[in-house]
Amino acid sequence: MNQWEVFVMDVAELAEGQDLELTIRTLNPGIHKYTYKRVRAQVSSDPGKFADQLQVRLGRGQMSNRKFSIEVLGEVQRMPSKYL
Amino acid sequence: MAAPRSNREFVEACVKSGDAVRIKQEVDWDNEAGAIVRRVCELGEAAPFMEKIKDYPGFSYFGAPLSTYRRMAIALGMDPNSTLPEIGREYLKRTNGEPIAPVVIDKKDAPCKENILKGKDVDLCRLPVPLVHDGDGGRYVGTWHAVVTKHPVRGDVNWGMYRQMMWDSRTMSGAVFPFSDLGKALNEYYLPRGESCPFATAIGLSPLAAMAACAPSPIPEPELTGMLAGEPVRLVKCETNGLEVPADAEIILEGEICPDYKVEEGPFGEYTGYRTSPRDFRVTFRVNCITYRNNATMTISNMGVPQDEGQLLRSFSLGLELEKLLKSQGIPITGVYMHPRSTHHMMIVGVKPTYSGIAMQIAQLAFGSKLGPWFHMVVVVDDKTDIYNWNEVYHALCTRCNPARGIHIFRNTTGTPLYPHASPYERKWSMGSQVLFDCLWPVDWDPVNDVPTTVSFRSVYSQEIQDRVTSNWTAYGYPPVK
Ligand SMILES: Cc1cc2nc3c(=O)[nH]c(=O)nc-3n(C[C@H](O)[C@H](O)[C@H](O)COP(=O)(O)O)c2cc1C
Repeated sequence: MNQWEVFVMDVAELAEGQDLELTIRTLNPGIHKYTYKRVRAQVSSDPGKFADQLQVRLGRGQMSNRKFSIEVLGEVQRMPSKYL
Repeated sequence: MAAPRSNREFVEACVKSGDAVRIKQEVDWDNEAGAIVRRVCELGEAAPFMEKIKDYPGFSYFGAPLSTYRRMAIALGMDPNSTLPEIGREYLKRTNGEPIAPVVIDKKDAPCKENILKGKDVDLCRLPVPLVHDGDGGRYVGTWHAVVTKHPVRGDVNWGMYRQMMWDSRTMSGAVFPFSDLGKALNEYYLPRGESCPFATAIGLSPLAAMAACAPSPIPEPELTGMLAGEPVRLVKCETNGLEVPADAEIILEGEICPDYKVEEGPFGEYTGYRTSPRDFRVTFRVNCITYRNNATMTISNMGVPQDEGQLLRSFSLGLELEKLLKSQGIPITGVYMHPRSTHHMMIVGVKPTYSGIAMQIAQLAFGSKLGPWFHMVVVVDDKTDIYNWNEVYHALCTRCNPARGIHIFRNTTGTPLYPHASPYERKWSMGSQVLFDCLWPVDWDPVNDVPTTVSFRSVYSQEIQDRVTSNWTAYGYPPVK
């Protein structure tokens, strides 16, 4: 099980039952904690639906008390290839 | 006492004078180090030198490097007990002299080259990048550092302290405001051409190099550092681009800024004492190479409520740079002071009011200058008011500033995205508004009959009565006045 975190302005951005593109950061312990990835994912407000957990923070870093689970479907590469 | 040439010499000097403490027990990079630094700032305590960091053997932290005037005096090689006006005079003396050019030294003599990571070895997570405040958008690599760039046309070198967040192992995102030197170069040159901009980030600088990197001075920072130190700063060539970096810095990151590709940055605890600027798509830095000293020390500034070095140092240098500007225009000012507790938002200017409109002229110059976006209040008091004494300034503000004639609002100016009082839209577009509080008696008032006389112990009693009362003070039964 992985722990992830996402920043949103409004929890409504986490629409359920559809593929979303999200910027999430890992909360797994270790030196890479808090590094980001851009992913395609599905989320659920049922913390048991997917294996990975998703914690939510709002615009100014406030922790939301709503807990989600997440399935990461794949990474999205946004960076232009000239910089890779 | 010579000015410390490196962060290491500075730490040593601060430990010796009691202005830094060595923390031997292990400290977690995840919140704990940040919380220590924050508490130190709020209590005005000695700077923490944290010798053991969880997960990062061989690295250390130095927090709150310049959050007191004592440490600022040590940085300048002055007596730690120097007063603020003394430190200010020294800054003006040194920065009004001839520029001192840097020297470029050989790589083998440059401490920052003791370890070099390139290619697949480049991973920012190999450095003890702290999570400074709980809830920050990321771990911040650059909180007390310099981003080194060179103007593509003019060739002048810029060192700027622009915060940098670790996005992933090789990517950082940063808040480079559009009115900053780097912001202008990116928007005017690199962005339209879709070209990347070489950069280097230097962390763990000598305190004077850090002071130069966040000073709003027109003098290029390597020269400014030399002027402040009284000797040339030592630079060394980068491994992967043509830039030169401070050779005595603890850690160097080299790479390129990608002007046409932005990733999320923030939120972050800011110098105003809030998290204000929104999480947004900001400037992206790709790191290609990391070099660092053995046992490297990462410097941490933890911005928040007063008082941290962002407030202290920026108040100091913004005030003194405005003083230079106003003097260059021949305005008979007695001094300029920004109290750090204003989170560098209120500029207090003392002036001999010899002609009408002098306060307005001061405000127009202040707000219209390069310094202007960083503060939104100018308070102009007369030459008899002690600008360093908040009681006197506050009294003048509350009694002499006429609500209808003394308050002048400047609209549609440039602001920063960090202004807590600005609307979300204004923050996004760096829109500002500013205000002048003119606390001068109007020059057309008759000085004898129209201007009120101040009623204070100092101003209404004869010298003889004042001497009698002060010399008998303890005899009356009062404790001695310090
Ligand atoms: C701790 C600290 C953090 C700062 N962070 C930023 C920042 O993120 N973005 C920015 O544009 N200026 C920031 N500044 C202010 C700049 O360092 C300052 O304006 C400096 O003079 C560089 O500006 P210039 O490019 O206009 O010369 C910061 C200053 C300090 C002391």
